[in-house]
Amino acid sequence: MRNKLTRVRALACVFLLFLSSQVAAGQTPKGIITLDGRDAPPLVLKNMDGESWDISDSRGHWVFVHFWASWCGPCRKEMPTIQAIFPQFDPKELEIVLVNTSESEDTVFSFLASVAPDLEPLMDYDGAITERWQPRGLPASFFVDPEGKLRYLALGGRPWNTPAYLDFIKQLIRK
Amino acid sequence: MKNSKQMASRYAWFWLVGLVVVTAHAKAAQQPPSPTYKDAEVSVRVIMRTPDQLTAFYLGREFNHAAIDKILETCFITPIVQNRTLDVLWLDLDEWQFSQGDKVIPRIKRDYWPDKWQETGLSKSHQSTFGWTLMPEVRDLRLDEGVGGSVVIPMQTGPFQLTMKFHTGADKKGPVKTVVFEDLQCVTN
Repeated sequence: MRNKLTRVRALACVFLLFLSSQVAAGQTPKGIITLDGRDAPPLVLKNMDGESWDISDSRGHWVFVHFWASWCGPCRKEMPTIQAIFPQFDPKELEIVLVNTSESEDTVFSFLASVAPDLEPLMDYDGAITERWQPRGLPASFFVDPEGKLRYLALGGRPWNTPAYLDFIKQLIRK
Repeated sequence: MKNSKQMASRYAWFWLVGLVVVTAHAKAAQQPPSPTYKDAEVSVRVIMRTPDQLTAFYLGREFNHAAIDKILETCFITPIVQNRTLDVLWLDLDEWQFSQGDKVIPRIKRDYWPDKWQETGLSKSHQSTFGWTLMPEVRDLRLDEGVGGSVVIPMQTGPFQLTMKFHTGADKKGPVKTVVFEDLQCVTN
Protein backbone atom coordinates (compact mmCIF):
# COMPACT_ATOMS: atom_id res chain seq x y z
CA MET A 1 0.00 0.00 0.00
CA ARG A 2 2.81 2.41 1.00
CA ASN A 3 4.72 1.42 -2.18
CA LYS A 4 1.67 2.19 -4.28
CA LEU A 5 1.32 5.64 -2.71
CA THR A 6 5.00 6.36 -3.26
CA ARG A 7 4.66 5.38 -6.91
CA VAL A 8 1.61 7.65 -7.39
CA ARG A 9 3.47 10.55 -5.77
CA ALA A 10 6.52 9.93 -7.93
CA LEU A 11 4.37 9.87 -11.06
CA ALA A 12 2.66 13.10 -10.03
CA CYS A 13 6.08 14.74 -9.49
CA VAL A 14 7.28 13.58 -12.91
CA PHE A 15 4.10 14.97 -14.50
CA LEU A 16 4.50 18.33 -12.76
CA LEU A 17 8.18 18.48 -13.73
CA PHE A 18 7.19 17.72 -17.32
CA LEU A 19 4.59 20.51 -17.32
CA SER A 20 6.96 23.07 -15.80
CA SER A 21 9.76 22.10 -18.21
CA GLN A 22 7.40 22.64 -21.14
CA VAL A 23 6.45 26.08 -19.89
CA ALA A 24 10.07 26.94 -19.10
CA ALA A 25 11.08 25.90 -22.60
CA GLY A 26 8.53 28.31 -24.01
CA GLN A 27 6.42 25.51 -25.50
CA THR A 28 2.76 26.20 -25.95
CA PRO A 29 -0.08 23.90 -25.01
CA LYS A 30 -2.05 22.10 -27.70
CA GLY A 31 -3.89 24.39 -30.10
CA ILE A 32 -1.98 27.57 -29.29
CA ILE A 33 0.11 28.97 -32.12
CA THR A 34 2.77 31.63 -31.94
CA LEU A 35 2.09 34.76 -33.99
CA ASP A 36 4.60 37.06 -35.62
CA GLY A 37 4.27 39.93 -33.17
CA ARG A 38 2.60 42.42 -35.48
CA ASP A 39 0.58 45.25 -33.92
CA ALA A 40 -2.84 44.24 -32.66
CA PRO A 41 -5.57 45.81 -34.82
CA PRO A 42 -7.58 48.64 -33.28
CA LEU A 43 -10.32 47.54 -30.90
CA VAL A 44 -12.70 50.14 -29.55
CA LEU A 45 -16.11 48.81 -28.57
CA LYS A 46 -18.83 49.33 -25.98
CA ASN A 47 -20.19 46.83 -23.51
CA MET A 48 -23.92 46.31 -22.90
CA ASP A 49 -23.96 49.23 -20.45
CA GLY A 50 -22.64 51.52 -23.15
CA GLU A 51 -19.18 51.83 -21.58
CA SER A 52 -16.41 52.10 -24.12
CA TRP A 53 -13.21 50.04 -24.01
CA ASP A 54 -10.09 50.74 -26.09
CA ILE A 55 -7.26 48.25 -26.35
CA SER A 56 -4.76 51.08 -26.71
CA ASP A 57 -5.44 51.92 -23.05
CA SER A 58 -4.19 48.48 -22.05
CA ARG A 59 -0.48 48.93 -22.66
CA GLY A 60 1.68 47.58 -19.84
CA HIS A 61 -0.13 44.29 -19.33
CA TRP A 62 -1.29 41.24 -21.31
CA VAL A 63 -4.76 41.15 -22.84
CA PHE A 64 -6.71 38.00 -23.65
CA VAL A 65 -9.06 38.96 -26.50
CA HIS A 66 -11.71 36.34 -27.07
CA PHE A 67 -14.09 36.36 -30.06
CA TRP A 68 -17.27 34.31 -29.73
CA ALA A 69 -20.94 33.95 -30.59
CA SER A 70 -23.64 32.06 -28.71
CA TRP A 71 -24.71 30.09 -31.80
CA CYS A 72 -21.31 28.43 -32.06
CA GLY A 73 -21.10 25.09 -30.25
CA PRO A 74 -17.41 25.22 -29.27
CA CYS A 75 -17.93 28.78 -27.92
CA ARG A 76 -20.70 27.55 -25.63
CA LYS A 77 -18.52 24.71 -24.38
CA GLU A 78 -15.51 26.95 -23.79
CA MET A 79 -17.21 29.87 -22.05
CA PRO A 80 -17.49 28.26 -18.57
CA THR A 81 -13.73 27.67 -18.61
CA ILE A 82 -13.13 31.38 -19.22
CA GLN A 83 -15.53 32.21 -16.41
CA ALA A 84 -13.53 29.81 -14.19
CA ILE A 85 -10.19 31.55 -14.80
CA PHE A 86 -11.56 35.09 -14.77
CA PRO A 87 -11.25 35.62 -10.98
CA GLN A 88 -7.76 34.13 -10.92
CA PHE A 89 -6.09 37.02 -12.73
CA ASP A 90 -5.54 40.60 -11.70
CA PRO A 91 -6.62 42.82 -14.62
CA LYS A 92 -3.39 44.78 -14.09
CA GLU A 93 -1.55 41.61 -15.20
CA LEU A 94 -4.01 40.02 -17.59
CA GLU A 95 -7.18 41.62 -18.84
CA ILE A 96 -9.77 39.15 -20.10
CA VAL A 97 -11.84 40.76 -22.85
CA LEU A 98 -14.74 39.11 -24.63
CA VAL A 99 -15.94 40.33 -28.01
CA ASN A 100 -19.33 39.09 -29.09
CA THR A 101 -19.62 38.84 -32.86
CA SER A 102 -22.79 40.27 -34.38
CA GLU A 103 -25.42 39.25 -31.86
CA SER A 104 -28.13 41.19 -30.05
CA GLU A 105 -27.97 42.13 -26.37
CA ASP A 106 -30.94 39.86 -25.59
CA THR A 107 -29.21 36.85 -27.11
CA VAL A 108 -25.91 37.56 -25.38
CA PHE A 109 -27.53 38.26 -22.02
CA SER A 110 -29.67 35.12 -22.15
CA PHE A 111 -26.60 32.96 -22.74
CA LEU A 112 -24.02 34.60 -20.47
CA ALA A 113 -26.29 35.09 -17.48
CA SER A 114 -26.39 31.34 -16.95
CA VAL A 115 -22.85 30.27 -17.82
CA ALA A 116 -20.57 33.25 -17.24
CA PRO A 117 -22.30 35.86 -15.10
CA ASP A 118 -19.06 37.72 -14.21
CA LEU A 119 -18.06 38.38 -17.79
CA GLU A 120 -19.08 41.61 -19.52
CA PRO A 121 -18.66 41.28 -23.25
CA LEU A 122 -17.95 44.03 -25.70
CA MET A 123 -20.52 44.14 -28.45
CA ASP A 124 -19.31 44.01 -32.06
CA TYR A 125 -22.81 44.55 -33.39
CA ASP A 126 -21.98 44.60 -37.10
CA GLY A 127 -19.00 42.22 -36.90
CA ALA A 128 -16.62 44.83 -38.34
CA ILE A 129 -14.04 44.54 -35.56
CA THR A 130 -14.08 40.75 -35.76
CA GLU A 131 -13.48 40.99 -39.51
CA ARG A 132 -10.56 43.33 -38.86
CA TRP A 133 -8.94 40.90 -36.40
CA GLN A 134 -9.40 37.95 -38.77
CA PRO A 135 -9.72 35.13 -36.24
CA ARG A 136 -9.50 31.63 -37.72
CA GLY A 137 -13.21 31.04 -37.12
CA LEU A 138 -15.14 31.26 -33.86
CA PRO A 139 -14.23 30.94 -31.08
CA ALA A 140 -10.73 32.39 -31.17
CA SER A 141 -8.55 33.90 -28.46
CA PHE A 142 -5.61 36.22 -29.04
CA PHE A 143 -2.92 37.04 -26.50
CA VAL A 144 -1.76 40.63 -26.88
CA ASP A 145 1.47 41.51 -25.10
CA PRO A 146 2.08 44.62 -22.93
CA GLU A 147 3.41 46.48 -26.01
CA GLY A 148 0.21 45.84 -27.94
CA LYS A 149 1.63 43.10 -30.19
CA LEU A 150 -0.17 39.91 -31.20
CA ARG A 151 1.81 37.05 -29.64
CA TYR A 152 -0.36 33.93 -29.54
CA LEU A 153 -3.60 32.65 -30.98
CA ALA A 154 -5.67 29.82 -29.54
CA LEU A 155 -7.31 27.74 -32.25
CA GLY A 156 -10.93 27.00 -31.49
CA GLY A 157 -12.20 26.32 -27.98
CA ARG A 158 -9.64 25.48 -25.28
CA PRO A 159 -10.08 24.23 -21.70
CA TRP A 160 -8.58 27.31 -20.08
CA ASN A 161 -9.12 26.07 -16.54
CA THR A 162 -6.87 23.02 -16.97
CA PRO A 163 -3.26 23.03 -15.69
CA ALA A 164 -1.54 23.17 -19.08
CA TYR A 165 -3.38 26.34 -20.15
CA LEU A 166 -3.38 27.98 -16.73
CA ASP A 167 0.37 27.42 -16.39
CA PHE A 168 0.91 28.80 -19.87
CA ILE A 169 -0.95 32.02 -19.00
CA LYS A 170 0.77 32.37 -15.61
CA GLN A 171 4.15 31.92 -17.23
CA LEU A 172 3.27 34.60 -19.82
CA ILE A 173 2.27 37.28 -17.39
CA ARG A 174 5.14 36.61 -14.99
CA LYS A 175 7.85 36.79 -17.65
CA MET B 1 -45.84 45.78 -16.40
CA LYS B 2 -43.84 46.63 -19.44
CA ASN B 3 -41.09 44.35 -18.16
CA SER B 4 -43.41 41.41 -17.64
CA LYS B 5 -44.84 41.90 -21.12
CA GLN B 6 -41.35 41.97 -22.54
CA MET B 7 -40.45 38.84 -20.57
CA ALA B 8 -43.60 37.09 -21.76
CA SER B 9 -42.90 37.92 -25.37
CA ARG B 10 -39.29 36.84 -24.94
CA TYR B 11 -40.35 33.48 -23.49
CA ALA B 12 -42.94 33.05 -26.24
CA TRP B 13 -40.16 33.61 -28.76
CA PHE B 14 -37.96 31.00 -27.08
CA TRP B 15 -40.85 28.52 -27.05
CA LEU B 16 -41.44 29.10 -30.74
CA VAL B 17 -37.79 28.64 -31.62
CA GLY B 18 -37.57 25.65 -29.28
CA LEU B 19 -40.54 24.05 -31.00
CA VAL B 20 -38.93 24.45 -34.40
CA VAL B 21 -35.66 23.04 -33.06
CA VAL B 22 -37.41 20.04 -31.52
CA THR B 23 -39.23 19.38 -34.79
CA ALA B 24 -35.98 19.66 -36.69
CA HIS B 25 -34.28 17.26 -34.28
CA ALA B 26 -37.11 14.76 -34.59
CA LYS B 27 -36.77 14.83 -38.37
CA ALA B 28 -32.97 14.70 -38.13
CA ALA B 29 -33.31 11.47 -36.19
CA GLN B 30 -34.95 9.97 -39.28
CA GLN B 31 -32.07 11.04 -41.52
CA PRO B 32 -29.40 8.51 -42.53
CA PRO B 33 -26.09 8.94 -40.64
CA SER B 34 -23.70 11.57 -41.98
CA PRO B 35 -21.08 10.14 -44.37
CA THR B 36 -17.63 10.10 -42.80
CA TYR B 37 -14.07 9.39 -43.85
CA LYS B 38 -11.13 8.87 -41.53
CA ASP B 39 -7.54 7.77 -41.94
CA ALA B 40 -4.17 8.67 -40.43
CA GLU B 41 -4.10 12.03 -42.22
CA VAL B 42 -7.58 13.47 -42.22
CA SER B 43 -11.05 12.94 -40.91
CA VAL B 44 -14.09 14.37 -42.65
CA ARG B 45 -17.76 14.24 -41.76
CA VAL B 46 -20.33 15.57 -44.20
CA ILE B 47 -23.66 16.74 -42.82
CA MET B 48 -26.48 17.51 -45.24
CA ARG B 49 -28.67 20.25 -43.78
CA THR B 50 -32.45 19.92 -44.01
CA PRO B 51 -34.66 22.95 -44.66
CA ASP B 52 -36.05 22.53 -41.13
CA GLN B 53 -32.58 22.61 -39.60
CA LEU B 54 -31.61 25.67 -41.61
CA THR B 55 -34.85 27.44 -40.75
CA ALA B 56 -34.48 26.66 -37.05
CA PHE B 57 -30.88 27.79 -36.96
CA TYR B 58 -31.29 31.08 -38.79
CA LEU B 59 -34.69 31.85 -37.23
CA GLY B 60 -33.00 31.32 -33.88
CA ARG B 61 -30.43 33.92 -34.93
CA GLU B 62 -33.33 36.28 -35.73
CA PHE B 63 -32.91 36.26 -39.52
CA ASN B 64 -35.98 37.50 -41.36
CA HIS B 65 -38.15 35.03 -43.28
CA ALA B 66 -37.34 36.49 -46.69
CA ALA B 67 -33.62 35.88 -46.08
CA ILE B 68 -34.30 32.35 -44.88
CA ASP B 69 -36.33 31.71 -48.04
CA LYS B 70 -33.27 32.69 -50.10
CA ILE B 71 -31.17 30.25 -48.09
CA LEU B 72 -33.72 27.47 -48.63
CA GLU B 73 -33.52 27.90 -52.41
CA THR B 74 -30.02 26.40 -52.22
CA CYS B 75 -28.43 23.21 -50.87
CA PHE B 76 -26.31 23.47 -47.70
CA ILE B 77 -23.61 20.92 -47.02
CA THR B 78 -21.63 21.15 -43.78
CA PRO B 79 -18.31 19.31 -43.86
CA ILE B 80 -16.22 19.07 -40.70
CA VAL B 81 -12.54 18.53 -41.50
CA GLN B 82 -9.84 17.60 -38.99
CA ASN B 83 -6.14 17.62 -39.80
CA ARG B 84 -4.55 14.42 -38.46
CA THR B 85 -1.21 14.81 -40.24
CA LEU B 86 1.89 16.09 -38.45
CA ASP B 87 2.11 18.83 -41.06
CA VAL B 88 -0.07 21.59 -42.51
CA LEU B 89 -3.18 20.35 -44.35
CA TRP B 90 -4.64 22.94 -46.74
CA LEU B 91 -8.34 23.50 -46.97
CA ASP B 92 -8.98 25.29 -50.26
CA LEU B 93 -12.58 25.19 -51.46
CA ASP B 94 -11.50 25.89 -55.04
CA GLU B 95 -9.84 22.46 -54.90
CA TRP B 96 -13.17 20.79 -54.12
CA GLN B 97 -15.47 19.69 -56.90
CA PHE B 98 -19.14 18.84 -56.86
CA SER B 99 -20.29 16.75 -59.83
CA GLN B 100 -23.15 14.72 -61.18
CA GLY B 101 -21.83 12.22 -63.73
CA ASP B 102 -19.71 14.27 -66.13
CA LYS B 103 -21.39 17.52 -65.17
CA VAL B 104 -19.61 19.84 -62.76
CA ILE B 105 -21.89 21.55 -60.25
CA PRO B 106 -20.64 25.09 -59.65
CA ARG B 107 -20.31 26.04 -56.02
CA ILE B 108 -22.25 29.07 -54.77
CA LYS B 109 -19.54 31.38 -53.51
CA ARG B 110 -19.64 34.17 -50.97
CA ASP B 111 -20.15 36.87 -53.60
CA TYR B 112 -23.58 35.38 -54.43
CA TRP B 113 -25.10 36.49 -51.15
CA PRO B 114 -24.79 40.32 -50.87
CA ASP B 115 -27.42 40.86 -53.60
CA LYS B 116 -29.78 38.46 -51.84
CA TRP B 117 -29.32 40.28 -48.55
CA GLN B 118 -29.92 43.59 -50.28
CA GLU B 119 -33.22 42.23 -51.69
CA THR B 120 -34.32 40.85 -48.35
CA GLY B 121 -33.14 43.70 -46.16
CA LEU B 122 -30.92 41.51 -43.99
CA SER B 123 -29.00 43.64 -41.50
CA LYS B 124 -25.21 43.95 -41.51
CA SER B 125 -24.95 42.04 -38.24
CA HIS B 126 -26.93 39.12 -39.64
CA GLN B 127 -24.84 39.20 -42.80
CA SER B 128 -21.76 38.96 -40.60
CA THR B 129 -23.22 36.01 -38.69
CA PHE B 130 -24.07 34.30 -41.97
CA GLY B 131 -20.50 34.77 -43.17
CA TRP B 132 -19.12 33.10 -40.05
CA THR B 133 -21.38 30.08 -40.57
CA LEU B 134 -19.85 29.43 -44.01
CA MET B 135 -16.75 27.29 -44.45
CA PRO B 136 -13.63 29.45 -44.85
CA GLU B 137 -12.41 29.56 -48.46
CA VAL B 138 -8.79 28.80 -47.56
CA ARG B 139 -7.25 27.63 -44.30
CA ASP B 140 -3.84 26.18 -43.45
CA LEU B 141 -4.97 23.63 -40.90
CA ARG B 142 -2.34 23.04 -38.23
CA LEU B 143 -1.72 19.82 -36.37
CA ASP B 144 -5.00 18.57 -34.92
CA GLU B 145 -6.86 21.70 -36.04
CA GLY B 146 -10.41 21.25 -37.23
CA VAL B 147 -12.71 23.42 -39.27
CA GLY B 148 -16.38 23.26 -40.11
CA GLY B 149 -18.92 25.39 -41.91
CA SER B 150 -21.40 25.36 -44.72
CA VAL B 151 -20.59 24.94 -48.38
CA VAL B 152 -23.42 25.84 -50.73
CA ILE B 153 -24.46 24.55 -54.15
CA PRO B 154 -27.62 25.03 -56.22
CA MET B 155 -30.45 22.70 -55.15
CA GLN B 156 -30.00 19.26 -56.78
CA THR B 157 -32.68 16.67 -57.38
CA GLY B 158 -30.41 13.66 -57.87
CA PRO B 159 -27.36 12.25 -56.09
CA PHE B 160 -24.01 13.97 -56.59
CA GLN B 161 -20.36 13.46 -55.79
CA LEU B 162 -17.99 15.64 -53.78
CA THR B 163 -14.26 15.33 -54.43
CA MET B 164 -12.08 17.07 -51.86
CA LYS B 165 -8.40 17.67 -52.61
CA PHE B 166 -6.09 18.76 -49.80
CA HIS B 167 -2.55 19.94 -50.40
CA THR B 168 -0.11 19.27 -47.58
CA GLY B 169 2.97 20.97 -46.21
CA ALA B 170 3.44 24.61 -45.32
CA ASP B 171 4.54 25.28 -48.93
CA LYS B 172 1.78 23.03 -50.37
CA LYS B 173 4.44 20.83 -51.93
CA GLY B 174 3.63 17.68 -49.95
CA PRO B 175 1.50 14.81 -51.26
CA VAL B 176 -2.04 15.71 -52.30
CA LYS B 177 -4.74 13.99 -50.30
CA THR B 178 -8.01 13.19 -52.07
CA VAL B 179 -11.26 12.22 -50.37
CA VAL B 180 -14.38 11.37 -52.37
CA PHE B 181 -17.96 11.21 -51.15
CA GLU B 182 -20.42 9.54 -53.53
CA ASP B 183 -24.19 9.62 -53.59
CA LEU B 184 -24.71 12.74 -51.55
CA GLN B 185 -28.24 14.16 -51.72
CA CYS B 186 -29.66 17.57 -50.99
CA VAL B 187 -32.23 16.96 -48.27
CA THR B 188 -35.79 18.18 -48.46
CA ASN B 189 -38.26 17.95 -45.60
